[in-house]
Amino acid sequence: MSDKPKKLIEKGKRLDGRKVDELRPIKMEAGVLKRADGSCYMELGGNKVIAAVYGPRAVHPRHLQEATQVIIRYRYDMASFSVEDRKRPGPDRRSVEISKVSREAIEPSIIKEYFPRSTIDIFVEILQADAGTRTVGINAASVALADAGIPMRGLVSSCAVGKVDGQIVLDLTGEEDNYGEADMPIAMTQDGKITLLQMDGHLTKEEFALAIELAKQGCKAIYEVQRNALVAKYKGGSYV
Amino acid sequence: MKLVIPGDILSDDVKRAGEGTYVASGKVYASIYGILDQKELRVIPLSGKYMPYTGDTVIGKVVDIIFSNWIVDINSPYEALLHISEHPERIDPCDMDRCLEIGDLIIARVKDVDATMRVELTLEKFRPLRSGRVIEISHTRIPRVIGRGGSMINLLKKELDCSIFVGQNGRIWINGKEDDIDLAIQTLLKIEREAHTPGLTDRIRELIERSKKRG
Amino acid sequence: MSDDIIAEIRRDYIYNLAKKGERVDGRAFDEYRQIEVETRLIDRAEGSAKVKIGNTQVLVGIKIQPGEPFPDTPDQGAIITNVELAPLASPSFEPGPPDESATELARVVDRGVRESGAIDLAKLCIEKGENIWMVFIDVYVLDHDGNLMDASALGAIAALLNAELPNERYELGKDAPLPIDDLPVAVTAAEINGEIMLDPSLDEELIASTQLTVITSKDGSLAGMQKSGVGMLTFDQIHHIIDIASKKAKEIREKYLETS
Repeated sequence: MSDKPKKLIEKGKRLDGRKVDELRPIKMEAGVLKRADGSCYMELGGNKVIAAVYGPRAVHPRHLQEATQVIIRYRYDMASFSVEDRKRPGPDRRSVEISKVSREAIEPSIIKEYFPRSTIDIFVEILQADAGTRTVGINAASVALADAGIPMRGLVSSCAVGKVDGQIVLDLTGEEDNYGEADMPIAMTQDGKITLLQMDGHLTKEEFALAIELAKQGCKAIYEVQRNALVAKYKGGSYV
Repeated sequence: MKLVIPGDILSDDVKRAGEGTYVASGKVYASIYGILDQKELRVIPLSGKYMPYTGDTVIGKVVDIIFSNWIVDINSPYEALLHISEHPERIDPCDMDRCLEIGDLIIARVKDVDATMRVELTLEKFRPLRSGRVIEISHTRIPRVIGRGGSMINLLKKELDCSIFVGQNGRIWINGKEDDIDLAIQTLLKIEREAHTPGLTDRIRELIERSKKRG
Repeated sequence: MSDDIIAEIRRDYIYNLAKKGERVDGRAFDEYRQIEVETRLIDRAEGSAKVKIGNTQVLVGIKIQPGEPFPDTPDQGAIITNVELAPLASPSFEPGPPDESATELARVVDRGVRESGAIDLAKLCIEKGENIWMVFIDVYVLDHDGNLMDASALGAIAALLNAELPNERYELGKDAPLPIDDLPVAVTAAEINGEIMLDPSLDEELIASTQLTVITSKDGSLAGMQKSGVGMLTFDQIHHIIDIASKKAKEIREKYLETS
């Protein structure tokens, strides 16, 4: 990684030319895999992420099943070539933690009582990482769930906010994350309830309030992209 | 036809909330991704697993025999049980496989589904499907295979010289001459692929006529 | 579980069609599904390729970094091949370390690249006995609809073809293309009820008694073979498979590897 640039924001513009409240370019497509019950591919800046959903299906091992509702399993995994230095395949402490908080971000949106004794498995593969992978994974996973026909109260949308050069910004780049003052990934339901909240760095309470407002805007924009991906799948040929 | 996604507001009239919807704070929302049926206020799914309902007729496959039950795969997250007492005669639990053995395909009715999704089946005839063939398509396409008022299935039966039985779980049994069965399968897979396109019935009729001329 | 049930239900249908010389998706016995190769889509990797064969999808990334040579080859680069059967690709894939099938896949892909001499390993020595380039071939299976062998092997060579030695990052001069000497192509055929079918789809694979993968080099010679599955093959069948596989390999090589 290169040295810290003198300034990350100059005259209201960030190093990649974005304004403080602007998301990186997004691409999203639903139903990209044939075998999975539901799937979604998403790009955000240099992030390339694919999510697949299987289920509801029978639980193995059996003792994990719950008598009155479906269980949700979420596996976040990084491809070995998704980062600068080759990562050894398989889970590490970081991916285990991200899998847990991502599952908890998604789970409240699922109507679980319909499928007692079964499981819904969500698999997220990071094909290329470029800061904010967990938020991209959550966005793709939510669309993949809808694509799989899983009953939900609504979609979950996610983005990161943070503090860079003293300013509150939306959707941090790797550089901003490394040299900025705070990074805060957030996920929320359509009606604005928070389902993921992590923060590292330093924020005043006032800055936190500002950051939450900015995250709301970001999630709203992402929700529109998620919705369009599902509409496009229907119109685009898979069903027509 | 209107496409909806989970969380879309459908109506204020909570009494009308149908399948594929949920009610929260006085409003009806879509709970699944699918097509809105405005008249019935329900969402017709485009995807998802087959969920058994009491009264459904399904094509199942015996996968195990334990504790006086035949365990039957019904193309669902849940396996179904066919209890020995459903048999009209008294049979010894050790002789169950003489009646139906593992691997047998059966046409059964869903007798009961409880709150934990334990599924019980009943059978009219304790005979497996020995002739003909069974294919599997997405259960969400079954209404299209049947067609409005049975229009599609009647067309198929008439034009294809086959007996066809459609299970609500997405499995379809076809019996007839080998070549007719092959054509029937080809036709059914086309219906599955193109289920939501206009003019499908005409295209299906055309496909059958063309294939018959060639054959 | 569900895979087996569908396979059994479809077995008769596939057998019947085979008798008439037909396949489920309308292909001829020696016909391949549509192939798509997309390269350079992972900037983080030194080389990458996504291969689609019908609905089967694999993504291959190449990472190249300096490391210590093996004691028996102090002046040669190293190839390390790994296949991940990602659980998103099939209901029957479980999370966890590579199992028997993933390991077999990785080793067959590795053999094809190694034995054909696709990479000039002698040019990958940085300092004899001390420092060499290690080439990691990582295959991620994303969607499993049959014939992962051919998809993985094609992805590997396509990704290697656009890979660059990251000299700049390690202060060893300018980045340079990875030296590629040959273009091995794997072609697999399945034996189903006495018939030989090229590029089996998953439906066909599940009921096939056995499969044979034939890897050929640019000059048409054999660089590797693998019989996979418990069934048996006659000599005639093997000769026939080698025949149609090397013909098909040549076509694939010309169309997808020699154009770039």
